[in-house]
Amino acid sequence: MTQYIARRLLLMLPVALLVTIVVFVLLRLSPGDPLVIYAGEERDPVALAALRVEYGLDRSMPEQYVSWITHALQGDLGRSLRTRQPVLESIVERLPATLELGIAALLLSVTIAMVVGTLSAVRRNSPLDLLATGFTLAGVSLPNFFLGLLLILVLSLAIRIFPPGGYTALREDVWENVRHLILPAITLATASMAVNMRQVRSSLLETFGQDYMRTARAKGLRETTVVVRHALKNALIPVVTIVGLQVGAIIEGAIITEQIFSWPGIGKLAVDSINGRDYPVVQAVVLVSALSFMASTLIVDVLYAWLDPRISYSGQRS
Amino acid sequence: MTRLLTILAVLAVVTGACAGAPPSTTGGGTSPAPSAAAKPTYGGTVTFVLENDVVDFDPLKSRAFVDRNIYYQIYDSLVRIDETGKIIAWLATKWEPSADGKSVTFTLRDDVTYHDGTKFDADSVKWNIERYIKTAGSQRAGELSSVDTVEVVNPTTVKFNLKSPFSPLVANLVDRASMMVSRKAFEAIGNPDDFTRKAFKAGSGPFMITEAIKDDHMTLEKNPSWWGKDKDGNKLPYLDKITVKPITNSDTRFTNLRTGDAQVSNNISGKDVPTARSESSLTYQERPALSFRSLIPNRAAGFVFNDKRYVKAVALAIDRAQLLEKGYFNLGAVGYGTIAPAHFAFDASFKPFEKADPEAAKKLVQEVGKPLSFELLVSAGDPATLTIATLIKDQLQKADIVADIQQLEFAKILELQSAHTFKGLTFVGWSGRIDPDGNTYDHIYTKRPFNDSSYSNAEVDKLLDEQRATSDQDKRKTALRKAEQIYVVDDPARIWLGFGAAQLLTSKKVNAPPIYPDQIIRFQFMSMAAK
Repeated sequence: MTQYIARRLLLMLPVALLVTIVVFVLLRLSPGDPLVIYAGEERDPVALAALRVEYGLDRSMPEQYVSWITHALQGDLGRSLRTRQPVLESIVERLPATLELGIAALLLSVTIAMVVGTLSAVRRNSPLDLLATGFTLAGVSLPNFFLGLLLILVLSLAIRIFPPGGYTALREDVWENVRHLILPAITLATASMAVNMRQVRSSLLETFGQDYMRTARAKGLRETTVVVRHALKNALIPVVTIVGLQVGAIIEGAIITEQIFSWPGIGKLAVDSINGRDYPVVQAVVLVSALSFMASTLIVDVLYAWLDPRISYSGQRS
Repeated sequence: MTRLLTILAVLAVVTGACAGAPPSTTGGGTSPAPSAAAKPTYGGTVTFVLENDVVDFDPLKSRAFVDRNIYYQIYDSLVRIDETGKIIAWLATKWEPSADGKSVTFTLRDDVTYHDGTKFDADSVKWNIERYIKTAGSQRAGELSSVDTVEVVNPTTVKFNLKSPFSPLVANLVDRASMMVSRKAFEAIGNPDDFTRKAFKAGSGPFMITEAIKDDHMTLEKNPSWWGKDKDGNKLPYLDKITVKPITNSDTRFTNLRTGDAQVSNNISGKDVPTARSESSLTYQERPALSFRSLIPNRAAGFVFNDKRYVKAVALAIDRAQLLEKGYFNLGAVGYGTIAPAHFAFDASFKPFEKADPEAAKKLVQEVGKPLSFELLVSAGDPATLTIATLIKDQLQKADIVADIQQLEFAKILELQSAHTFKGLTFVGWSGRIDPDGNTYDHIYTKRPFNDSSYSNAEVDKLLDEQRATSDQDKRKTALRKAEQIYVVDDPARIWLGFGAAQLLTSKKVNAPPIYPDQIIRFQFMSMAAK
C-alpha cells in the first residue's frame, strides 16, 4: 500500500506540471490584455508600458513560464496582476470560506442522501420513495444559478429569513456566519445530494439481492442491523467514489454558487481572475484545484481497500 | 490705473480658474446637514454595498471608479465639489493663479492631521504631487502632466508651477490627483505593492480604514479629529462606522437593501428603479451625472466609418429617447456630446439629433454610394447592453443601415479598441469628470489615450488647446461649444447617446446625504435616523 501511495504521489508531479503548462498557454492565447482590462476607462499608454515591464509581460511566453515555474517551485506563486496581493496569500485568505461552504454542502448532501436513500431503498415504491425519486430528478435538473436565485427570492426577499448574499467570518459572529451559509450550502448541496441519494438507493437495492444478505436475515438478525451493518457498508463503495470526486471538486463546484451569493471564496476569486486575465492567480487556482482533485482520488482509492478487504493494491489478495 | 487693471485681471483669473467655481474662503467640510428635516444624531454603523471590491488603496495606482467611493471617505483632496458640481475649498482654503496663468498658489488649512498623527502641510503637498508625477506607472501622471514643479512657499502655502497655462488644473485636483497621503504611513510600509493593499492610517479624511479583507468587506471607522463641520458648526462625521461589502451582482445589492442587510448603495440597475422608488423602507435619489454613453466608430483609414457621412447617418437614425426609455429604463438623460448638464459649458439648446431622422440618414448613405453595413461589438454575457444594441439595430434598419451585432468578450473588445482595429462600432461609457475638458480632450484630441475612434480634426484640436490655455470662462465655453459642434455634428468623432445618472439608495434608517453629480457618496454627512 505504501508503495502504491508513493507511486501515485510521484505520478502527480508530471500531471501537475502538464496542468501548469496547459493553463499557462491557454491563458496567454485567450483574448484580452490584462493590463488594458485593469486600466478600465483610464488607459494611459505610458503607465501601461511601465506596468508591462514591471510585471514581466513584455517578455516572451517561454521566458515568462520558466520564471513563473522557477518561483512556484520555491513556493512563490507571484503577485496578482489585479490586486498586487501575493497569490499564495490570496488563496490562503479565501480557502476557509470555500472549505466552509464546500464541507457544509457536502455534509448536508451526504447526511440527507444516506438517510433518505436508505429509507427509499428499504421502502421501495412507497410514497417516500416516490417523493425522493422526484426530488432527485428535480435536484439534478435544476441548475445552481436558478436554484440560488429561487432561494433568494423566496427565503430572502419574500419571507426574509436569510440574507441574500455576503459572508461573515465564523470568528466574527457565529450566528451571522450560519445565517449567511445556509442558502449557498443548500444551493451547492442540492445537485450532489440528488446524485448521492440515487446512488445510495440503487447500490443498496443491489446489495439487498446478495447471498450474504439472505444469510444475515436467515441468522435471525433484526432488519435494522441487516441494513446498517451488512448492506450499507457494502453499498458504500460506489457512493464513496462519487463523494470522493465531489470532495475533490469542492473548489470548482463552488464557482457558480459563490458568484450568486457573493461568497468570498476561491471560486469567486477564480471567476474574477479569469475575467480579468489575472494570469498568476488563475494558474495558482487551477494548480491548487488539480492537486486537490488528485489527492482526493488517491484518498478514495485508499478508502476502497478499507471498505472492501477484497481490494488490494499490492498485487496479492488479502 | 495699471495696478487697478492688474488687480481686476487677477480677480478675473481667480474667478475663472475653477471651471465656474469661485473659490470658497470657508472651510471645505462645511455643508448642509444630512437631510432637510432630520436633526443629525451621532453614532451608528451602516453597511454599504459596493459594486466591486477596491483593488488599490493608493490613489497613485487607482484605475477604477469604485475606488473613489472609498477614497472620498479616507482621503482629503486640495479641492472638492459641492452637490451642484461647483469647486469648493477643501484642504486648500483658497487658490490664486498667476497673471500669466503659469502658476497657481494654494493656501492650505493648518488644522489637518493624517490618521497616523502626522501633520498635513505644504511639504506634504509637494511630496504627494511629486510622487504622483514621478513614479513609473503612476495613473495620476497624466492628470498632472501640466505641472512642472511644486514649490513650498511656507508651511501653509504651496505653489504649482506649470509648463504652460492650463485652466482645468484645479478641476483635475478635485479627485485622486490631489488626494493627500501621509508620507510617514507610506514609508513605514516600504513596498508600494503592499501599501496599496494596506494603506491604513494613510489618509486624513472623515473615516479611517481599519480593515480590508479582499472580496469580503472593508471597515471604515470615524476619524474623531477630522476638521469638517456641518452648517450648524457640529463636528463631522456623524457615523461611527461603515462596513463596505463588495457585491458585484446588482440584483443581490438591491435585495440586500430591501431585506435590510445593507443600508446604502449607489448603483442600482435601471429595471429596479421603479421598485426602489416605491419601496416604503427605502429612499431613492437621482440626479444627472457627468458620465456619458457613446458608440465609438473606428474612423481610421481603411475602415467603414472613415467616411464621416456614415457616422453622421448613424447619429441621425438613432432614436435616443426610445433608447433611454426602453434600454436604460429612463435612467439618465438624452444627450448628444461630451459636455454634461452639470458642466459650465453645457448648452441646453444643443440638440442636433433631437428626433431620429431615418430619411436624412438614408440620403447621406446614398450620397456615399454604398450601403452601410458594419459590426456592432457587444460584450458577451451582458444582457442589458445586448438589449440596447438590439434596439439600435432595429432603429438603424429603418434607415436601411445594417448593424451586425457581434458578441465578444469584454477583454477582446477593449483590446481591439485600444489597437484601433475593430471594424465597426463599439459601446463605451465614461464616468465623467468635473471639468468638460476631462470629458473631452483625451477622447477627441488627435492621438490622445482615450481617442479610440482614431479621430483627428485640426480645427477641433486647436479649439481644445485654446480652451485649456485661457482662464476666461466665457472664452472656454465658446471654444468648447464650437468644438462640440464639429466633433458631434460636422465631422462626428462618435455617436453620443446620452448622459448617466447619479443614484443613491438608502434605508429609511439613515438620513441620506445630498447626492453629487460625480456619483460618489459623502458619508461624512450621513447619520442614523432618529428612532
